[in-house]
Amino acid sequence: MGRLIEEIYVWRVPVRVYHWINALCIVTLATTGMYIASPVINPPLGEAVWQHNFVMWRYIHYCVAFLFVGNFLYRMYYALLSDDQYAKFGGFRPWSPAWWGTPFKEQVASYLFLRDDEPNYVGHNPVAALAHFIFIFCGSAFMILTGLAMYGENRPGSLIEGVFGWILPVFGSSYNLHYAHHLMSWIFPFYVIVHLYAVFRHDVVDRTSVTSSIITGYKHKVEDERDL
Amino acid sequence: MPTKQTFAEVFESRGVSRRDFLKFCSLTSVALGLSPELLPKVVHAMETKPRTPVIWLHGLECTCCTESFIRSSHPIMADIVFNMISLDYDETLSAAAGDQLEEVRKKIMKEYNGKYILAIEGNIPMKDDGVYCTVNGDSFLNIVRETAAGAAAVIAWGSCASFGCVQNAHPNPTGAVPVSDVIKDKPIVKVPGCPPISEVMTGVIAHVHTFGTLPELDRMGRPKAFYGTRIHDKCYRRAFYDAGMFVRGFDEESTRKGWCLYKMGCKGPTTYNSCSKIQWNAGTSFPIGSGHPCIGCSEPGFWDKGPFYSRLAEVSFLGTDTTADQIGMVAVGAAAAGAVAHAAVTAVKKKQHDNESEK
Repeated sequence: MGRLIEEIYVWRVPVRVYHWINALCIVTLATTGMYIASPVINPPLGEAVWQHNFVMWRYIHYCVAFLFVGNFLYRMYYALLSDDQYAKFGGFRPWSPAWWGTPFKEQVASYLFLRDDEPNYVGHNPVAALAHFIFIFCGSAFMILTGLAMYGENRPGSLIEGVFGWILPVFGSSYNLHYAHHLMSWIFPFYVIVHLYAVFRHDVVDRTSVTSSIITGYKHKVEDERDL
Repeated sequence: MPTKQTFAEVFESRGVSRRDFLKFCSLTSVALGLSPELLPKVVHAMETKPRTPVIWLHGLECTCCTESFIRSSHPIMADIVFNMISLDYDETLSAAAGDQLEEVRKKIMKEYNGKYILAIEGNIPMKDDGVYCTVNGDSFLNIVRETAAGAAAVIAWGSCASFGCVQNAHPNPTGAVPVSDVIKDKPIVKVPGCPPISEVMTGVIAHVHTFGTLPELDRMGRPKAFYGTRIHDKCYRRAFYDAGMFVRGFDEESTRKGWCLYKMGCKGPTTYNSCSKIQWNAGTSFPIGSGHPCIGCSEPGFWDKGPFYSRLAEVSFLGTDTTADQIGMVAVGAAAAGAVAHAAVTAVKKKQHDNESEK
């Protein structure tokens, strides 16, 4: 832990907007998705023709899903084409053995209480970057692809069915596709817990104001920070 | 039986009127999803084209496809289709048997080389050189390979021939495989279902006969006309689904009211078939119509997606009674517990650290 030297503007507006839209989408999608898988609210009285209970859950799921897709693409665009160094994939090189070297090992050791000092990073630390890649990038891409394939099933012959329909035979059957989408959705509550814990913990231990940085955009630089 | 008879000639010889013949043609075109302008083409084909010779092999199966086929719903159609495709070889339906019948198969294979349709009911056990299914002293595997060599196209009847069905469900002791795993060089039409709807079966044959081509197939190799939408999409209980009115038990009032069977494990939302459109037994009913959830019998591997009466299948690699939700909840619970434990250790370490710095 070091002395606070300066404020660093880390998360620019597009990143913060993406983060909060994404958070909102994930919570909504997970909730509505779980409800669609096992609807629990008791059936209303009266005729079916006046009720839209279940169809509304699906409708919200679809609307938010498209927002989620748009948001994901927007973030990819920003990561690939902007000059924002903290928003790019720049440092993330899991295919290179060097990336798994000292910084990654130090961070893991720190999380496992094998080191006393906490390595600090302006952007994501290597473990966080890996977690984001697995859960947020791969996880979202998986949910988007399987989700759009299922959406295409509702509209045979549509553009979405034409573009994403190939995914169905990859999974073997429509049932497997639904199943995979449902099973995989559990990574998000898992991730949210780990993410929130890690953020709060870093805030307490490192005092880099990582929690508020996703609202204000500012982190605080401390004197023993490693060079990236 | 004279060969090279046309449909119209068969009708005439059986005393079916011209009117009924045209009715049959228009019904067939409706069943195939053709536009009205194509009706003359159907009539023309039925009048002029010689009947398509069909060799119908039975492998590892239960004959439910044949049972379904002979119950083709339209009264005339049942009789007609039965007699009209030149069904030259079929262990179940042929009058001849034994060597006589085998000779017919050899003869058709020679005379109509490259022109006959090979229909296969049931699948092919591959283990131990296919010894688990033999016909006339030879393995079914060899017979299929031999007969497929000269076929114009292959029709895979039922879920067995299309995807495997119960024979290749886990643990698949005979190494049973669907037709597409054995025959790679011929066009294959998959007509899944356990059994397939009779009108779907006759419709596929009528299409092949009328146009001389296979019907348009989807990505899974099934005719689009019959397997283009899910049972759910055309289900008459769909309104209850959209309304969120679900049957929660078979002994409830909701069952009597005919609400949606989604929560009872209905596989309609993931099953591509025409049950909710064409229905069964002359359009009398279909499983959901009788208050039973769809078990998804025309989908690949449906036996291993059990139990039939719950929405979520068990996760087979973790043994019984484990569902995706249980795995998810355990994972989320573990994450929460891990976070709490980690926080506790962090607090202890921080305390130690603070104490040390104070000294």
